[in-house]
Amino acid sequence: MYRYDEFDHAFVSARVDQFKDQVERRLAGELSEDQFRPLRLMNGVYLQLHAYMLRVAIPYGTLSSRQMRKLAYIARHYDRGYGHFTTRQNLQYNWPALKDMPKVLDELASVEMHALQTSGNCIRNVTADHFAGAAADEVADPRPYAEILRQWSSMHPEFSYLPRKFKIAVTGAERDRAAIQVHDIGLHLKKNATGELGFAVYVGGGQGRTPMVAKKIRDFLPVEDLLSYTTAIMRVYNLNGRRDNKYKARIKILVHETGTEELTRQVEAEFRVLKETDLKLPQQDVDAIDSYFAPPSLPLRPEGWSELAAARKADHSFSIWVDQNVTPHKNPDYGVVTISLKPIGGIPGDATDAQMDLVADIAEKFSQDEIRVSHEQNLVLPHVAIADLRIVYDLLLTDGLATANAGLITDIIACPGLDYCALANARSIPVAQRISERFGKPERQSDIGELKIKISGCINACGHHHVGHIGILGVEKKGEELYQISLGGSGDEICTIGDITGRGFSSEEIVDAVETIVDRYLDIRTDKEETFLATYRRVGAAPFKDALYSEAANAA
Amino acid sequence: MSDIPQISHGDLWSREGFREDPYVVAETLEEAGDAPAIILPLAVWLGLEDEVRNATNRKIGVSVAPGESIEPLLASLDTIPVIALQFPAFNDGRSYSKAEMLKNQHQFKGELRAVGDVLIDQVAYMLRTGFDTLKVSHSVTLTRLADHNLHDTPVYYQPGRGSRSAPGTYSWRRVPSA
Repeated sequence: MYRYDEFDHAFVSARVDQFKDQVERRLAGELSEDQFRPLRLMNGVYLQLHAYMLRVAIPYGTLSSRQMRKLAYIARHYDRGYGHFTTRQNLQYNWPALKDMPKVLDELASVEMHALQTSGNCIRNVTADHFAGAAADEVADPRPYAEILRQWSSMHPEFSYLPRKFKIAVTGAERDRAAIQVHDIGLHLKKNATGELGFAVYVGGGQGRTPMVAKKIRDFLPVEDLLSYTTAIMRVYNLNGRRDNKYKARIKILVHETGTEELTRQVEAEFRVLKETDLKLPQQDVDAIDSYFAPPSLPLRPEGWSELAAARKADHSFSIWVDQNVTPHKNPDYGVVTISLKPIGGIPGDATDAQMDLVADIAEKFSQDEIRVSHEQNLVLPHVAIADLRIVYDLLLTDGLATANAGLITDIIACPGLDYCALANARSIPVAQRISERFGKPERQSDIGELKIKISGCINACGHHHVGHIGILGVEKKGEELYQISLGGSGDEICTIGDITGRGFSSEEIVDAVETIVDRYLDIRTDKEETFLATYRRVGAAPFKDALYSEAANAA
Repeated sequence: MSDIPQISHGDLWSREGFREDPYVVAETLEEAGDAPAIILPLAVWLGLEDEVRNATNRKIGVSVAPGESIEPLLASLDTIPVIALQFPAFNDGRSYSKAEMLKNQHQFKGELRAVGDVLIDQVAYMLRTGFDTLKVSHSVTLTRLADHNLHDTPVYYQPGRGSRSAPGTYSWRRVPSA
């Protein structure tokens, strides 16, 4: 994985010093909260309901064991013993004191980490497929390009005061696990007919109050043009994006109001000017970064398959976990392990300091010292030998990390909601916990199959409800929390925004409503192979609306 | 306050330090009277006759608001002594793109000036996108600039002008990979 060189070290420590100075000026009253705000935001410091919150960047979700241990240490010493992994593959601390922030940033810098550009109207932490460099279905590893974009976008002089935040995601497989079509820029790394690498470029996707699926403006952009083309998009946006209304300031609105064709024309015109400048990426530049991401040399472990068969036979729970949480690796002797941070009835994405330490230990011994954070708020061990699955499972079991629910109905994404967030209208976490408890039985979950529930506590959609197979949006109506349901959303390669079913449900009703939907699905699916999403796409909203609202009417 | 002496040396900052601003900012030519150096709004400048714009007895510069396009200036860049790009609020970043385009793409050789809400925390960005001078009124910014505390980092990932005299390139070209 990427290792900081002296350049990165010098940059990050200078930025920590800068922020120390800014915190001191704020505490001394030299900076007003208004002036401090964009500066603290650029350093990942938010002001939440109860306290400041620090969001730590985990570039493209890749961590070493040493880094994970440091995150655990910070949780223990500066927070209340836990951290929250987010849908941007980042980590949030909910309770650090402002005066401690510089110390925390020093700690992070000691393991090549920082909180830069995890907020503010700049280019945010670039995300990538959490199975990058490991998944069997991958065309090429997207992380070198995410890293190039990270470096290029760090404290970018031209693009640090954009109309609004800007999110870029990169994937290197046809199966889109990075939700690129709901990003400001989505990059799909692929090969053309002659085998050269390039990107399909998507622009203007996003969720929030105006959800939109991104438009493809380039089917194949050669790798060497990555930065010049991205710069062209950014420049068109920086100059023309709306600044009069923060809710209309994302690039998706510019794309929508300008029209895809005209916007593409503007981008291409700017690109022609930039193409032959020093933004061009020669192959040796790509190679220099690529070398950091060389695949680990994995010893042959063919004995694993027979061991696995025996272990599965002996332990049904283990077998279910393997089915659900282990994904094929490029190397047939290995698997990609998803560590669920969704224990039944737990808080999605939360991990204690002890859990983080445990994951770090396991990764060091059994996963080439690598950990990933997924945008689905789980952790991933990318390179585990099939022969080691049993011991890894046993270790995970010791601290509640072996929940066999990856991709199932209890693998819920939820934003922090009204329990933490100053923007929220409704609580998300308790709803997620109750749904998780209702559907927690392994047999029931397994029978229901793949089903993604995503919950946001307000219209900003941090819980990605628009792309949930079942999306739940908390709103506030006459002082009460109300939950609106949408169906059929999907953030993968066939990206769709969910359809709102109708009137919302109270906190008491919402779990029953979800169950009504699930029961109807089980009734009408053609067979167990037809997933919820496939069924919804076949039959549409009507049968579900019917179940939801006629039953409610009958009950009334 | 320690910033009083600096103000007496002027409020126009460049890497050489503070100096008096030779330009008078005026809404119209008439309002400027017989001032030898004037900065006019873009719309007014566009309405001037060529011989007035290029008169040798005085300098006429142009002020550009964030919402205005630099396109109409491009044909005259050789003769414009100063372009003042406005920052009505520090977080309106449009003028950074214009600076980059004027200096890098169109090789504007005159003085590129940042005016408005110029704060110390944005100074490095301004220098790196090609601004030559900053018109400063914020007192903390005045003090810090007078102390040559640019609030800068020693290295940057992108090639940039201004804040570093060493010619930059991309970070991954500067440091050989491990």
